[in-house]
Amino acid sequence: MDLVRDVLDRKIVDRENCDMGRVDGLVMHLGAHTTQPRITHIRIGGTTPWMRLHPALARLAGRLARMWGPRRAEPVTIPWSRVVTAGRDIRLDVKARDTGAIDWEIWIARHIVERIPGGGQKEAEQ
Amino acid sequence: MKKILQITLGIVTSVGGFLEIGSVLTAAQAGAAFGYQLLWAILIGTLCLIFLVEMSGRLAAVSKHTIVDAMRERFGFPFFFIVLVGMVLVAFLVLIAEIGGIGLSLQLLTGIGFPWWAIPVSLLVWFLMWKGTFGFIENGASLLGLITISFVVGAIKLHPDWSSAATGLLPTMPHDQKARYGFIAVSILGASISPYLMYFYSSGAIEDEWDESYIGVNRAIAVLGMSFGGLLSMAVLIAAALALHPHGIQVDKFEQAALPMTSAFPKWGLGLFAVSMLVACFGAAVEISLAIAYFFAQGFGWNWSQNLEPSKNARFSLVYTIIILSSAVPLVFGVDPVKVTMISMALTAATLPIAIVPFLFLMNDPIYMGKHRNGWVSNSVVAIIILISFLLAVISIPLEIIGG
Repeated sequence: MDLVRDVLDRKIVDRENCDMGRVDGLVMHLGAHTTQPRITHIRIGGTTPWMRLHPALARLAGRLARMWGPRRAEPVTIPWSRVVTAGRDIRLDVKARDTGAIDWEIWIARHIVERIPGGGQKEAEQ
Repeated sequence: MKKILQITLGIVTSVGGFLEIGSVLTAAQAGAAFGYQLLWAILIGTLCLIFLVEMSGRLAAVSKHTIVDAMRERFGFPFFFIVLVGMVLVAFLVLIAEIGGIGLSLQLLTGIGFPWWAIPVSLLVWFLMWKGTFGFIENGASLLGLITISFVVGAIKLHPDWSSAATGLLPTMPHDQKARYGFIAVSILGASISPYLMYFYSSGAIEDEWDESYIGVNRAIAVLGMSFGGLLSMAVLIAAALALHPHGIQVDKFEQAALPMTSAFPKWGLGLFAVSMLVACFGAAVEISLAIAYFFAQGFGWNWSQNLEPSKNARFSLVYTIIILSSAVPLVFGVDPVKVTMISMALTAATLPIAIVPFLFLMNDPIYMGKHRNGWVSNSVVAIIILISFLLAVISIPLEIIGG
């Protein structure tokens, strides 16, 4: 598997086919000299994608994210062991809302969209 | 049978959705200022769009990726972000022009100034997206958009000289006003080759769950739909060349673009023009707002579908809500939609390389396209037209600004 080609930036879905974001970063464990480096976690959202552009943008994104909404600036980190398949999408054996990956989605639905007539109820069917 | 129905619907959609304020104003300006001489710009713009739309549908059908999905995956976040900023800024300007176009059409019909219409119109566009499904919006706006065929009837009624019109299909340089000629040519290319249309089309193909069996359907829709659409733009240019050019009337205002229609239909030409533009700009405004929301949602991996109720894809819905409502703000303060149209069309042409070049890479990538990747003909046609548009843009935009 080519990590940059086949994993990084791919869309992530949970076990219920809910979109969780994209693979914004990978965490690698280097270990001792004798062991092979291995991927331990994938990272979603937070400051991770902005860090790939410039550290200053990551700092700005972090500061803004802490000001409102769910006040979450840290990326969601999920163990590689949760990866079920890595094809067109990266399928994880998790429930999206338990990981924090869709905190913003839930916050915007609850605080903005559902308050506008015709916006529907996200919470009702979950 | 189902596929034939889809082809018909697709063609109707493309024809009805082709004209918008950009293509009408640029074609009318070209006809008024240079007669038939700029018909070639519509021809190559439409040719390029046929190839690009076909590619967008093929990418979706074969790889099951929208353009934005594939671009983010293949080129990574930093590159995606640069394209996002460029595309969204330009598309937002085009959206202001379209909302302004609806306002100007209502101004023609009612006499009430366009700034007063900006907020009600943007709220109405938003409301339709908030409540409507993808099929309802696309097919409804496009079926109504067939009224723009009246431009063809108008052009024919003015009795054009077809042989001299045909000479306009070959590029020639004018004796004077070369900078203006270049700028209008660029604006026509920008109006024809709209990247937002590709994002919208490929997202629609994913929403409709296309697979490889749709490659033929896709090709038929792209070729027939865009060709008929291009003919509509040509009709606007020809009508302007006949009604305005001999009298030396330039199209600096929206009402002046209606003059060819009032020449063709003295009684109800103005109303017909206003209603056609109203419907055309409305359809375009919806498509652009959706395209911008798709760009964000697909790029960041959020839930997106125009067929879900807003709370099921809250971030997607919030993006189009913000975009539509904020597009009304400059119009309320009286910013001239005609000027915004001309600037945004030229900027579209100038930014085409950042939208199209990565797309061409994707269309040649065996990982995404397998045996359905581009041949040399489509690569060359698109690459050459994009290069011409870009070069014309970087030369003529500064000249237009200096020359006022």
